[in-house]
Parts: sequence; C-alpha cells; structure tokens
Amino acid sequence: MIKITNLVKVYRTEEMQTTALNQLNLEVKEGEFVAVMGPSGCGKSTLLNILGLLDDPDSGSFLFNGIEVANFNERQRSSLRKQHIGFVFQSFNLIDELSVFENVELPLIYLGVKESERRKRVEEVLDKMQIMHRQKHFPQQLSGGQQQRVAVARAVVNKPHLILADEPTGNLDSSNGNEVMELLTDLNEQGTTIVMVTHSEHDARYSHRIVRMLDGQTVLTDIMV
Amino acid sequence: MLKNYFKSAYRSLLKQKSFSFLNIAGLTFGLTACLLIALFVWDEQQYDKFIPEGEQVYRVYIERTTVSEGTENMAFTPPMFATTLEQEFPEVEEALRFFNIQWKVLFEANGKQIYEGSGIAAESGFFEFFPLHFVFGSPKNALADPTSIVISTSLAERYFGTENPVGKEILIDNDPFQVKGVYQNNPKFHLAVDYIIPLQTMGFPEERMQSWTWQNLFTYVKVKKGVNGENLEAKFQKLVEQDVHPILKEGGMTYLPQFQPLENIHLYSADFKYDMAVRGNITYVKGLSLIALFILVIACFNFVNLATAKSLKRAKEVGVRKSIGASRNQLILQFLSESILLAFISVLISVLLTLLLLPWLNDFTGKQMALPVLNPLVLLLLVSLSIIVGVIAGLYPAMVLSGFQPVKVLKGGSAGNVQPGKIPWLRHGLVVLQFAVSVLLIISAIVVYQQVEFLNNKDLGFEKEQIMFFPMRGENMVGNYEAFKNQLLQSPGVSSVSIGYGFPGDMVAGDGIIVPRGGEHKRYSVTQLMVDHDYIKTLGVEVIAGRDFSKEITTDATEGFIINETAVKELGFGTPEEALGQPLHWEVWVDEPADSLKKGQVIGVVKDFHYKSLYDEVEPTVLQIFPPAFWKVAVKMKTADIAATLEHVKTTWNSFSPEYPLEYGFLDDSFEQMYKAEDKLRALLWIFTGMAIFVGCLGLFGLAAYAAERRKKEIGIRKVLGASVQNIVVLLSQDFVKLVLISLLIASPIAWYLMQGWLQDFAYRIDIGWWVFGLAGFAAVAIALLTVGFHAIKAALKNPVKNLRIE
Repeated sequence: MIKITNLVKVYRTEEMQTTALNQLNLEVKEGEFVAVMGPSGCGKSTLLNILGLLDDPDSGSFLFNGIEVANFNERQRSSLRKQHIGFVFQSFNLIDELSVFENVELPLIYLGVKESERRKRVEEVLDKMQIMHRQKHFPQQLSGGQQQRVAVARAVVNKPHLILADEPTGNLDSSNGNEVMELLTDLNEQGTTIVMVTHSEHDARYSHRIVRMLDGQTVLTDIMV
Repeated sequence: MLKNYFKSAYRSLLKQKSFSFLNIAGLTFGLTACLLIALFVWDEQQYDKFIPEGEQVYRVYIERTTVSEGTENMAFTPPMFATTLEQEFPEVEEALRFFNIQWKVLFEANGKQIYEGSGIAAESGFFEFFPLHFVFGSPKNALADPTSIVISTSLAERYFGTENPVGKEILIDNDPFQVKGVYQNNPKFHLAVDYIIPLQTMGFPEERMQSWTWQNLFTYVKVKKGVNGENLEAKFQKLVEQDVHPILKEGGMTYLPQFQPLENIHLYSADFKYDMAVRGNITYVKGLSLIALFILVIACFNFVNLATAKSLKRAKEVGVRKSIGASRNQLILQFLSESILLAFISVLISVLLTLLLLPWLNDFTGKQMALPVLNPLVLLLLVSLSIIVGVIAGLYPAMVLSGFQPVKVLKGGSAGNVQPGKIPWLRHGLVVLQFAVSVLLIISAIVVYQQVEFLNNKDLGFEKEQIMFFPMRGENMVGNYEAFKNQLLQSPGVSSVSIGYGFPGDMVAGDGIIVPRGGEHKRYSVTQLMVDHDYIKTLGVEVIAGRDFSKEITTDATEGFIINETAVKELGFGTPEEALGQPLHWEVWVDEPADSLKKGQVIGVVKDFHYKSLYDEVEPTVLQIFPPAFWKVAVKMKTADIAATLEHVKTTWNSFSPEYPLEYGFLDDSFEQMYKAEDKLRALLWIFTGMAIFVGCLGLFGLAAYAAERRKKEIGIRKVLGASVQNIVVLLSQDFVKLVLISLLIASPIAWYLMQGWLQDFAYRIDIGWWVFGLAGFAAVAIALLTVGFHAIKAALKNPVKNLRIE
C-alpha cells in the first residue's frame, strides 16, 4: 500500500537547516499494523505527516496504492486524504464547538455524503465505539478516553484504508489507553492498515511490526510474534 | 453543507463571546452610522422628484459681475427674463415669475392673529409648473383673482383646524383675501412656502415690470419636450449680451442668465445670494457619503484585525479540519459564513438602532426621514449589505486561516506564519490609519470649537446684550414714531431707544455714496445705516473722531453723515480726523422728485463694528438720519425688573397699534442665529470624533489582544526572570504608542491644511496654535494607552507557569 524510497525532508529556518528525514525507505503492506518508535526528534512525526499527505517531501518517492503522490498539489492531496486516510492524534484534536455526533460527521460532510447516509454511518460507528449515548455531548464534557474514542470514530467513519495514529494513548491513563489500543487492533483485524507513532513499548506490542528510527532513518525492524 | 457552516459559525460566535461582542459592536456601530448617513444622502436627492415633466423645468438665475464684489450667483432675476423668454423663443412652453415676501405680515382669520413669514406672490401659472397636491379647492384659476390666496395645510390648521377653509376670508395686514385652495405641505419641494397670493397684488408699477435692471423676482421656465436646455440658455445669453449689456454697464454691473435644472436647485445652489429655496449642499452630501464609506471600511478593517488576531486560537481547528479532509475552499466558505452571520446580526441591530436614532436625526436636520424596513427592496438591500460586509470583512481572515499548515498548527501553538521580528504591516497600517483619522478629527473639533468660541466672544464693537428688538407696525405707530419712542422712554427700566433701519444681525441696505472731489463726483458702494439720534448711544458704538448726532444741531438731520473707519480708508480720507468736514452726497430714496441729492459732510467717525456676521469683513459704512426708512425699534433695557419693562413696552405698543400683536426678539439671539451652522458643525464633529476614536480603539484593542496572545510565552519567561508588572505593561504598550505617534505625524499636516481652508471662509478667525496638535496627540496617546493597558495588565498579571506550560 505504501512504498517510500529515499525520502528526504529538510526543515529550513533563516539560520540553520535540519534534516528530518534522510534517505528514508519504508514499505507498508495492505492490512499491516506498523508501530514507529524512536527518540524525540528522530523524524517519526515528519514521516507520519508525509504519509498523511499533510506535508510534502523534498525528494524521494512515495507510492500510495501504486500511485506516485510525492508531487501532488494541495487539492490532490486533500482529495486523496479525505477518501483514504484517517487520523488519530495524541491530543484528540476534536473541534470544541461541535458535538460528538457532528465531529464524527464532519469527514463525511467534506466528502459530500448525503445527510441520511451520513446519519446512518455516524450512528453505526458511534455504536461500534460504544459512545452512542454521548452523541449530543460536546468534547469538554467527555473523559480523555471517551474523547479519543470519538477521535477514532471520526477517523474511521469514512472507511479509510489507512489510519495514522500519533501517540494515540499519550494523553490517557493505562486502562483508557488499552481500550483505544483494542479498538485499533479490532479495526486492523477488519482490514484497515494502521501506522502508529508511539513512545510506549506496551502499545507497540499490539502491532505486527515495529520500525525503529534514529536521525531520520529507519534503523531496525522488529517483527512481533 | 451550508447548514453545517452556519451551525458551526453560530456556535463559534457563542463560544468566543467577548470577541463576537467586539466584532458585532464595531460593525453595528459602523453600519448604523452608514445607514443614518445613507438615509440623509438619499433624502437630499429626493427634492422636486415628484414634479411631473420636471426635466423640462429650469430655474433661471444670474451670474452677476460687479467691480466691488466680483462674480456671484444670484437667484433674483429681472422681470424681463420671463417676458422675453416667452415672446422670443418658440422652444419655451411657459415662463413663471414670483416674488418672495421676505417680511412677516399679519394674518387674521377665525379670530386669530399670527405673523406669517413665508409666502410668495406668484403668477397664475404656478400650479401648472408645480402641481402640488390640493386637499381643498382646486388649483385651476386659484390665483386668477387679485384677492385670492392659496394656503398650505399647516397654515390652514393654525386658523381653521381641520375644517375646509375654501371661500373663507383672511385679512393680511388688514386687506381681505379669499381662500381658493389648500395644498399639502411637501417637504420634498424646494419652495417651503405657506401661502401664495397673485403677483399682481404686489402692485408693482408697469414700467418696473418691464425692467432689465430691477432684480427682485424668481424666474422659472418650462421648455417644450425634446428641447435642449443648454442650447436655449446659450441663445438667451447671446440675446442678453447684445441687447441688455449696454444698458447694464451704465450701472457698473453686468449679468449673464443661467439655466438650472429643477432637480439641481436643492443641492447645487449653496452659494447663491438672495435665494429662497430649501437648500442642501452637494459638498456636504459628497463629504458625508465619503465618511459613511470610510466608517464602514474601517469597521470592516477592525473585523479583519480582530479576526486575524484570534487566528492563533483557531489554528488547531483549521488543522483538524484539514487533516480530516477539508479543502481550502471549504474552509474559506466556513469562515465567510461566520463573518456573514456576524454581519447579518450587526445589520439587524443597526437597523433597530437606526430606527431609534432617526427621531433625533430628524430633529437635528429638520427632515422627516423614515426607514421603511418592510419594503422588499429595502430588505433585499439590507441582506445584500450583510453579505457584502461579511465578505469584505471576512475574506482576508478566511484566506489567512485556511492557509495554515495543519502539520505546524497541530503540533504546537504557533500558527506557523508568525515569525519573530516580522512586523504585521497590514494590521499596524490599519491601526495607524484609524488613529490618523481620530487625530484629524480631534484637531478639527478643537479648531472649530475655538473658532465658534471666538465668534461668540469677539468684541463686536457694540453692546448686543439686553436689547429688545421689533419692527413698527401700523400707520399710527410709524407716523408718530417720535411720540412712540418718547413714551417707551417713560419706563425707568428703559435706558435708551433707537428707531431706524440697519441694526446688527438684521437687514442692512447697500447703496452708493458720492464723494465730490476737485470737480469730480466719485461714486462708492457702501452700507447705509438709516439711524436716529440715539443709535450710537443705544448700541454703545464708540466715536473715535468728531461727534455723535445731536438734537441741538438741527443740520445734523439734513446734512450730517457719520462714517466708520473702513469708510475713512475706502473713501480716501486719510485719517479719521482728516475725514471730518469732508463733503458727501447721497441720492435720496424717494421717487419724487427724481435724482434729488442730499448734500452734507462728515461730522463723526465711529470705530468699526460688526453689524454682520464675522464671515463678512466690515464694509465701508455710512450712518445718516433718514426718517422715511425708519422701521425697526431697539430698546436698551436695564437689568432690573425686566418683566415690568416688557409690560411697559407692550402697553405702549397697544396704545399706538392695538390692531397688531407685539412680536419681539433680542438682538443677541438674532446674532447667535447667524452661527447656527457652525454650532451644528461643532456638534457633528464631536459625534464623528467620538465615533472615530471608538472605532480606532476597537482596532487597537484587537491588536493588543493579539500581541498579548502572541507574546505570552515571552512574557512568562520575562516574569520568571524577574520582570515586574510595570515592565511588562511598558513592554506591551510602547509599540502601540509608536503607532499612535506615527498617525499623529500623518494627520497633523492634513488637519492643518483642511482647517486653514475652513477658516478662510471667516473674515475674522483664530490662528491654529501648535498646542492644538500637542493636545490632540496627547489625547490620542492617552486613549491608546487606556485601551492597550487592559490587555497589557491582564497579560502581565497572568501566572507565568500557565503561559509556559502550553508550549
């Protein structure tokens, strides 16, 4: 599904430049659950942003489902993103002004799905995440675990092929964290590809494979048994 | 999709209450000012639009050129204009003349006596030119009979209430007239008259009605359909140049007739002399339109300013929306729906405010304006206004916000495009512009205030206080004015009485005076004050050479002239002392015998005194005793027991002219009336200054909020390192003080230039002192500090740990 070859990303400021990704290579197969680990500043998040088409690389190749997307413009990226990719963030990033239902509904609105269809799909996914009873609440009224469940619900409502999770349990206690990891594992078992950045060895163990990064490169891959 | 936009827009407005409040307040404010001004401007352009075939109607006026006064536009025309236009030009369908009855006349009907001041004597075609709506009677032949009168509804109500007065009698100065019709007062008609009588009633002699030089009538002309007014004007001008100019040149004056389209009369006659039309001023209309536009743009700028300032807070939302698939256009639409919703709310509130303020504006402008909110066209306009304002205000913030990179904004607090050390030119520029306008207005307000104070307090060269003033009425009083005067003086409350023609603040006569010098008779144009022996004493005018008129010296009444200082210079007499004894001749104002000359000499010189407004320079003035012109009475009263004195004046009046009621005023009141326009300007300027300051503060408030937000980490670090609250407040405020100082630099020269121009209209004016700019600058800085201080102190008092933890 994803094939990255010799990917380079350099951040420049007026005084200095930082190489975030240095000739990185990575392949993720359809249906895989990959955890990315590494110390702060090793380029994990940059990688995730490029995978999520939120950022573009300076050089190298990025094949998404066999299509070269490294040179896509904003519009193309946005369109690809909303159809195929779901995001889960460490800080949930729910929109405070929207209710649970509306937060989850938002990707479908941007996809142009009809209202009746939207309702059906949102209810379906809320039910699956067991937060149906909270659908009229606003994010501030929920616990961290519940918020993250909403975030996951939002990420999967448009049935993406790929879920990108950036330290999804980083702001949660362990029991809530485990719940979220169970959710992701379930999704993966139903066929969704997942790439997760994490600092937690515990969380990483839920994945099929751990990619370890250092200084913008992959240094090691552990296959989980 | 749209529903969703408006839903989230509505929620985010509720969420950020203070921000929404500021935005709505700013926009509402700007919109209300705009709506009020727009109503005024629209109303000003509605004059005479109700007249059918009005595009064929022109008013004829003259451009008069004299040596002493240059070229002036005058609404008065000679009678021969209409006659010639009708007889010589087949293009003309009809011409109309009327005479403005400028003085108050006594109306008596139904047991009521009232002095009426606004009437005309018109030719019978008046209602064909101006088909006013008749409530009673018919316009047909309404002015045919010399004793007929047509009155307005408001005049009719004063005497007859709501009943039909047609056929009833009204006595005008004891002459009977019969009411032929009642027309509805139309506030959109340029002639605000309450009664119309036939022109023939005035009894102008036939030879005067064939004059090219006696200019006392208003002339209108209606051309045939399809006739080009300008061509006709040119042809008529040519005729006047050929046939009339030779006659005119003898009198030292020439004129050219001009055609003014009916719809231009109200707005394009501001500088006309002797005009009686209800006049606006196109300059004010244009200036106000510009101000309205400016206020609206500034209010939109503030929205831009506040919204971009708040963008940091919304960056995360943008990141999230983008990461789940929102395209940039969708985000722009979302933010635009927010600003349109906001603009819509503001429009709603400002419509309410406008309705509330309209009575006040109507009072201030003397108009009867209304905002027909239920009119579909007005509704459509208001809705489009919301959309336009929403888009203008929201587009830039929407572009900025939607341009945020999700990668950057989702990571940390910074919106990504803010770089340290980079100056936000747009936002700073807007604040400078707004404050420049505020400073400009503050300076103007101070200058106007000073000038008005100057006008009110300048030594006029005479004492205008405690002088009761009224015209004589009735033959008995006019014929026995000496006896009347003596009886007035009987009261211990009356210190002196003067009867004459030419009192300060009242009408004065301009006429020629002849100076015989070395066999040559040179004619000068001067102001003639027809006075009695007590004029100088009553008004407290200072005699600087020679003496006042004296009753003991009988030749003073027949040969004495007193002139003012300006006349001494203009007539070439050298010094006041040298002027004494100089001969003067005057062509006496009587019809028989023609050309009789009053020959006399200068017996005294008075210090210049301002009998006209301070717009006009003191003119060369001649005072002489000429009883046939005596008309007005000035009674100088002592301060003690004024009530008793007034009672005495009334009793005396009734013993001479019981058939007329006494109507009096005070000289200082009529003098203040002359500066009414300046008083209104002063009030308006205060209002605009207040508005500009408020709007400017809104912008500054937004900018300060933004700066405090952006620098909160810096502030936290500084505080941890030991900075005091004052240090922080100074740190945050100094940038804004700089901006205000820049705006002061920009505004001062412009204000100086504009105010110098305004002051040029006054013959007597103040100098603009440097302290005015200092004061305006100080005020602006103080206001800015107060505004910024709120945020600066709030930021400075925050627990630094909170600010630092966010990163």
